Formats: sequence, structure tokens, C-alpha cells
Amino acid sequence: MEVIHLPKDIDRHWVETSSGAILAGTGPILLDFKDVESIDSAGIALVHILERTRSTEVESIRRPILDQIESTQQEIDSSKKQTKSPFFERIGTSFYNNFCEFRIALSVLVEMLYWGTIGMFERRDFRKGILGEQMYHLGYGALGITLALTFLIGVALAVQSAIQLKAFGADVFLIALVVQGMIRELGPLMAAIILAGRTGSATTAEIATMKVQEEVDALKTMGLNEIQFIVVPKFWALSATMPLVTVMAIMSGILGGFVVAFTMVGMAPQMIMDEFVKNIIVKDFVLSILKSLVFSWLIIWVGSYYGFRVSGGAEEVGRATTQSVVSTIFVIVVADAIFSFFY
Amino acid sequence: MSENVIEIRNLTAKYGDRTVLHDISTDFKRAEIKVVLGTSGCGKTTLLKHTIGLLAPASGTVNILGTQIGELDSPETMATLKRIGVMYQYGALLGSLTVAQNIALPLKMHTKLSNQLIEEIVRDKLHSVKLDIAYDLFPGELSGGMRKRAAIARALVLDPPILFCDEPSAGLDPVTSAGLDDLLKEMRDHLGITIVVITHEIESIKVIADSILYLEKGKVLYDGSLAEALKVTAGPLANFFNRVDNFNGAPAVKMQSKLIVRSTQ
Ligand SMILES: Nc1ncnc2c1ncn2[C@@H]1O[C@H](COP(=O)(O)OP(=O)(O)OP(=O)(O)O)[C@@H](O)[C@H]1O
Ligand SMILES: [Mg+2]
Repeated sequence: MEVIHLPKDIDRHWVETSSGAILAGTGPILLDFKDVESIDSAGIALVHILERTRSTEVESIRRPILDQIESTQQEIDSSKKQTKSPFFERIGTSFYNNFCEFRIALSVLVEMLYWGTIGMFERRDFRKGILGEQMYHLGYGALGITLALTFLIGVALAVQSAIQLKAFGADVFLIALVVQGMIRELGPLMAAIILAGRTGSATTAEIATMKVQEEVDALKTMGLNEIQFIVVPKFWALSATMPLVTVMAIMSGILGGFVVAFTMVGMAPQMIMDEFVKNIIVKDFVLSILKSLVFSWLIIWVGSYYGFRVSGGAEEVGRATTQSVVSTIFVIVVADAIFSFFY
Repeated sequence: MSENVIEIRNLTAKYGDRTVLHDISTDFKRAEIKVVLGTSGCGKTTLLKHTIGLLAPASGTVNILGTQIGELDSPETMATLKRIGVMYQYGALLGSLTVAQNIALPLKMHTKLSNQLIEEIVRDKLHSVKLDIAYDLFPGELSGGMRKRAAIARALVLDPPILFCDEPSAGLDPVTSAGLDDLLKEMRDHLGITIVVITHEIESIKVIADSILYLEKGKVLYDGSLAEALKVTAGPLANFFNRVDNFNGAPAVKMQSKLIVRSTQ
């Protein structure tokens, strides 16, 4: 049997230097406590580990020290030991979990569309005035930054295109390119991405916080539908403001293009206007607004889904918000790519 | 023997793979205050959430007022839930509404009362929890204790025959908390309400409790009257009551050590 003579003070420093060798060994061990006068948490922990891993005996131990060791004795629940589950079980579990997530996401979408349309007439409306407030917050609040950014994108697009077009001597197409590019693609996409970052994240954070503070539970026990109460006002507010924001974003981007055309390329204002009018196609405009409407639903849907998914503590709110923004932008870009096949 | 208002049978609850409640069976009787006790994290709030159908049990049943609690959106469950007031551990007032709107919400949802009547009821309820001044404030503008009182007012606004309170007096000053105890007892005695209280306040337990459900690690350790519980002399329950009466009382339960002690000095 291995015998260890312990020093006067079993403290952290002694444990740091000596524990490696002691713990590495196997087989029975005898701890000689004859000289020991004090023991600290590190020393106690060492004895506890030895007790579990090796057959351990102690000798000449003082009562107070023994009490100290035993009073912090944890309960070892052997059933708790994590065993790694077999490969296929893990695959199955993860598949099943993803399936459940998908079902939750789908049910949020279905409920949002149902309570936002047909279900609206089913229950008493108790939140008059909330719609205006939400429109102000979700739409108007994002207007300034959206206009500024699309203007700059219009400028950048025009500058880059002007250089290329000049090489072919095709300057006059600059306006056509900017106008169509903005209407068909960049206006709706930029507006959606900015609102995803702003409105989508705010939606997730609000719902997640409500979830964490048991407010969603309280709503349910009071017989209210949480989707109807929280999501539907946002759904309507964004459906109403998103097309407006998009139209203004398009205009702002086109304006950026005009500025470049006038100052850098030196096109005459009259010519710019002619080209502009020629290239505004009503069908494109309408489709683009419809597209922005779909984007607005995606923003609210993904934003709420990530909010409702949260369970547990406050730190999850931040994580959910980050995930939500990334996923919303991803979903929007995918949707945009799909749209581009249709027109 | 008075009638059972809530019957829980063989309830097992899980979060993911982790079983939090093991095979719980208990009853809550009419016009009785039952206190649910247990160390932090033993599953009291979880039991509450399963009882009112917010979470679905892994197995077992909950029966409230003769209705089996199932999916939250089933009409029977909904109808039963209308008759239950719940005060959540952290108040759970809706942050986007004022205190008055919060309290009025169940009335607007479930009744056809006029706005004038609703306002009067809300003011009465606020007065009964001594929160008259908070009428127009938002929950964010209240202190923790005020939020709890507002939550109680909201739980009581539909005059439910059953009331659940998750730690009503935690964080309240002794005067307010004694006032709350009086309020609960009054409701039991005069209105015959069944009240389930989760609390750690020993003084308040001795005043209000008719019976006690003691949980440990998700299992029922004691389920019976307060008087009997106070007579128990050993084990965690005795510990619980002694401990708080007298801090030097019973020592912590010692685990069996596997250490082989050859000799001591
Ligand atoms: N959303 C959740 N997800 C996973 N585990 C949870 C969740 N909520 C609670 N738990 C776990 O369930 C157990 C019981 O929690 P519960 O909230 O019911 O305790 P409690 O008895 O109410 O404690 P306290 O007195 O601190 O409020 C705890 O171990 C906790 O870790
Ligand atoms: Mg709790």
C-alpha cells in the first residue's frame, strides 16, 4: 500500500505540487495525517477525489479535520453520469429535434397569418391604438437610415456602372441601369435587410424577454393567444409600412444615381428625366412592392419564431436576437434569389 | 372530508431528457390553503406550470374542477383556466400595458362588462392590494414588491375559485407580507377559494397553511396537514421548520463517508 505523509498545512500550494503524482496512482493508499494541523478546500477536494477513485485509508487524523472533510461530502449520484449515446441514436435525436423546431416555426407562421387575417374578427379588440404606435416604431423609425443607405448605394452603383459604360461609349444607359436595378432588386432588398436588422431583432428581443419573464405564460393562462396579442400588431404595422419604406428607398437610390449622372458623367437634367420616365415600368414597380410585402412577413415570422423559442434565462435573449438577425437576412436573400427567377 | 378541487395523479415532468418531477400525486381541497415547499430548484414552479396546463406532462394527469387539463387551446381547458388566477414568481405583468390595463385584461377578454364597470373593478382590486397610486404606471416603473401586488390584483380580478401564488411574499417587507397573508386567509374563509401557495417564509406558512406538500428533488416527501408536519421530528421537513426557527438547530444531514478511518487523534 502506498503511504503518503501529509505536511502540517495541506493548502493549495502543496496540492498544486503534489496532487499530480498522488492522483496518477492506482490501488490502495494510506494518508498519514499525523502532522496535519489545517486543511483548505483544495486539500479537501483532493481527499474526496481519492476516496472516489482509490481505496483510501486515513490515519491519525484529528477530529476537526475529519469533520471538515466529511461535512462537505457531496452526494455521488451514479445515475447522473453522462454516457455518450450511440451514433444512430444521436442522429435520430437531432433529426427529431430539427423536425420539432420546424413544426414550431411553421405553426408560428400559420397562426400569424390566421390571426392576422381571418381570426381578426373572432375576438374583441382590446389594443386600440397599438397599430399606430407599432407603425411608428417599426416603419418610420427605420426610414432615415434606410434612405441614407440606399442613397449611398445608388451613388456607388452609378459610379461603378458609369466607368464600365464609358468604356463602351454607352453613357446613356446609366440611368436605365440605376432605375431598373433599384426598382427590381436593390431597393426592396436593402430596405428588407435594414429592417431585418432593426425590426426583426427588436421583435425577437421583445418576445424573448416576455418569454423569460413568464409574460407569455401569463397571457396563455388569461386565455389570450400570444401570437394574436404580440405578433399580429407587428404583422400589420410592418405590412403597411414596408411597401412605403421600400418605395422611398427606391426613390432615394435613384436620386443617388441622378446626382452621379449629373455631376460626374455630365448628363443634362432634361435627358436624365427622359431616361427616367422611359424606364419606370409599372409592372416592375408593383412586383417589387409585392416582394417587399413578402419580405416584411419573413422578418416578422423569423423574428417572432426566434423569440418564442427562448426558454430559460436572460442570457438567451441576446443569443436569440443575434441568431434571428442572421437567419432573417439569410431567408430574405434566399427569397430574393427565388423571386429573381420569376421576373 | 371536503371535496377535491384539483387532483394530480402520477405526474412525471421532464425538461428534455432530465426528469424534474417524479410520479407526483396529490390533491387540493376546496377552501383550503396548501403550501408547496421545497428547496430552490426542486420543481415547485414546474409543478405549477404542469398543473395549469402550460407544460404537458411526460405522463400522468391533472384534473381541475372535474375537467382533465389537456392542450391549452382546447375549449374545456380554456374554460377551466378562466376560473384559475395565477400569480407568477416574477409578476409577469405585460410591459407594454399600464398596471390598470394589465388588471383589466382578463375582464376585457372574458366578460362583456362596460368600461366604466371595468375601471371600477380595477380600482377596487388595486385598493385591496394598496396600490391605488400605480393605476397609470407601467410595470417597469414599479418596485419588485409593487409588481407582485399588482400581479395578485390581476390574478384575482375574475374572482377565481382557485388561486395559485408562486412566492407571493418573497422580497416583500414584513408588514405588506402579513397583509397579504390576511388577504389570502380572508379569501379562503369568506369566499371558499382554494389557494396553492409556493413560499419559503416560515412565519407565513405557520399562519396560512392548512396543509403542506413538501417536495425534494422532484419527489413528494410529505403531503398532509400543517399540524402533523410540525410534529415530524426527523428528516428534511423537521429540518426545514427547525432551521428557520433556530439557526443552530439541526445540523445538515451528513452523507455516509466511504473514507476508512484507521485512527483519530
Ligand atoms: N425552462 C427550463 N428548461 C430546463 N430546465 C428547467 C427549466 N425551468 C426549470 N428547469 C429545471 O427544473 C428544475 C426545477 O425548477 P423550478 O423552477 O420548478 O424550481 P423551483 O422549485 O420553482 O425553484 P425556486 O424556489 O428557485 O423558484 C430546476 O432544476 C431547473 O434547473
Ligand atoms: Mg420557482
